[in-house]
Amino acid sequence: MTAETRTPLLPARRSGRVKGLAKRFGTEEVWAKATAPVALLAIVILFSIASPRFFTAANLSGMLADSTIPVVLALGATFAVALAGIDLSLAATVALGSVTMGLAYQQGWPLIVCVLVAIATGVAVGAFNGVFVGWVRIPDFIVTLGTLSLVMGLALILSTGVPVQMREPALTFISTQSLFGIRYNILIAIGIAVILHVVLFHTRFGTHLLAVGDNADAAKAMGLKVARIKLAGYMLCGTMGGVAAVLLTSYIGSSQPAANTDYLLKAIAAVVLGGVSLFGGRATIIGPVLGAILLTFLQSGLTLLGVSAFYSPLVIGIVVIAAATLMRGRK
Amino acid sequence: MTDNTRSRSSFDNGATGAGDIKVEVRDVEKLFGSIVALRGANLTVRKGEVTAIVGDNGAGKSTLVKCLTGLYVPDGGEIIIDGEVAHFRNPDDAREGGIETVYQDLALSDQLSVWQNMFMSRELVRRVGPFKFLRRKEMKKQAKTLVEDLAVTVPSITNSVKRLSGGQRQAVAIARGVMWAKGMIILDEPTAALGLRETAQVEALIKRTVDQGQTVLIVSHNFEQVKRLSSQVWVMRAGQVVGGTRTVDVTNEELVGMVTGAIQLAG
Repeated sequence: MTAETRTPLLPARRSGRVKGLAKRFGTEEVWAKATAPVALLAIVILFSIASPRFFTAANLSGMLADSTIPVVLALGATFAVALAGIDLSLAATVALGSVTMGLAYQQGWPLIVCVLVAIATGVAVGAFNGVFVGWVRIPDFIVTLGTLSLVMGLALILSTGVPVQMREPALTFISTQSLFGIRYNILIAIGIAVILHVVLFHTRFGTHLLAVGDNADAAKAMGLKVARIKLAGYMLCGTMGGVAAVLLTSYIGSSQPAANTDYLLKAIAAVVLGGVSLFGGRATIIGPVLGAILLTFLQSGLTLLGVSAFYSPLVIGIVVIAAATLMRGRK
Repeated sequence: MTDNTRSRSSFDNGATGAGDIKVEVRDVEKLFGSIVALRGANLTVRKGEVTAIVGDNGAGKSTLVKCLTGLYVPDGGEIIIDGEVAHFRNPDDAREGGIETVYQDLALSDQLSVWQNMFMSRELVRRVGPFKFLRRKEMKKQAKTLVEDLAVTVPSITNSVKRLSGGQRQAVAIARGVMWAKGMIILDEPTAALGLRETAQVEALIKRTVDQGQTVLIVSHNFEQVKRLSSQVWVMRAGQVVGGTRTVDVTNEELVGMVTGAIQLAG
């Protein structure tokens, strides 16, 4: 992409194309982009050798469907992290979204309205985070830690801790039926990923989001509305929490008042694996998607090999720290 | 957008008619609480040449520049641009008035590419129904053409700014200013952090900018640079412009004397 117009100008750059290429391979950017796909490929190959049941259509389709919620949450987390922020309330938002959806369902509202209620809940939580990060200027870590507890509490209070059964054929359809062997829920997640890719790389908002994440002062000097852009980023992140709530409710068939912190861990892990800079300003959409799929495959593969489920958080933790170290070491 | 006044020559110091004045600063005052930063500063900037402001730290150079770029609103006096009194309340107003500023810290987004930085907040878009999408190819093309026109030494327009040298980063920031300026660029200490070679590159770029018809106002600590680049120099001391002269008429030593107050000048 950049090969055609490299004019060497300073003496240090005059050592020819080979060195330039080697330099490019050594850059952090290349490593960040390559980590998720290479690791995913390695894991697929390793598990395929280790277990004959891994590389089968049924298992692959099932694992992809299981990646749905991690993928959607990783997409949301990408926008917070690209802003040089973080959203710790993401998993709690999923719980609250599923609770409000259940409440709407109990009111006898049409299913589509229940779905919109869940998504609106996510938008509202994101807006709350965005306002406190953008205008009140409290560090993102503190704001979303507070929101995590606040939202978790709200979900328990509103639901009194009791799940609402939602046995709607239209709802279970997306988690059980497939198109060409691929489950509808992961197809929805991929559809959202495509839209968010366009948002990030083909709209002014996407460019401005990265600019704010990279250097908020420079962005301000160029006339960008920093607080407003942060608000929009956190709202997008919250929206993905709401969407994940719908997909989770569809998958389980009932609302889920208790937050599953494993989701938060996986979302952030997928973002790191996907090469999104934790210091903001650099992000891709495909990276976190592959990262989320990778982590789900890793978990399923270990289960398939008979490794106790207790080991999977340990393995995920190791993978994430290793990936982060690899990218950091190349600076 | 840069070829509107390209035919003007760079060192046009013959005429002094009112039409050749780009900016006139009249009795501009600025207070910060009880501290007087500017106590009635006066100067003029002629069209199509480089005007320099020199002065010691705290002389009020930056404050005056910030009044011109809309970052500060003066407490008194007026700023006349192209014969009309300007009322800049923020940097966007100044930008809309055709004045671009290259700040000392450059205001670049390191991890974004050269072309993204050059079009930052002024991206070209294509409307599709209710949506607006970036015209990435068009922006890359325009950025590339501009960079080549200015003979700016940037490896590639798609490189991230982070991978450029100090001089190249400066060149990108100046090229962005040139691209959007409709007549005038203000450069605040453009070579303060650069080595000799890079300083020479940036100075060459500033000269080409003027050749293309832009008016340049430069704040500098470097008297040799002021001698090399500017046609007119104004000296500031204690919140006032204490004197001004055509640069050809002074020596380095005289400039130093004016700044320190050892030599008195009639404005």
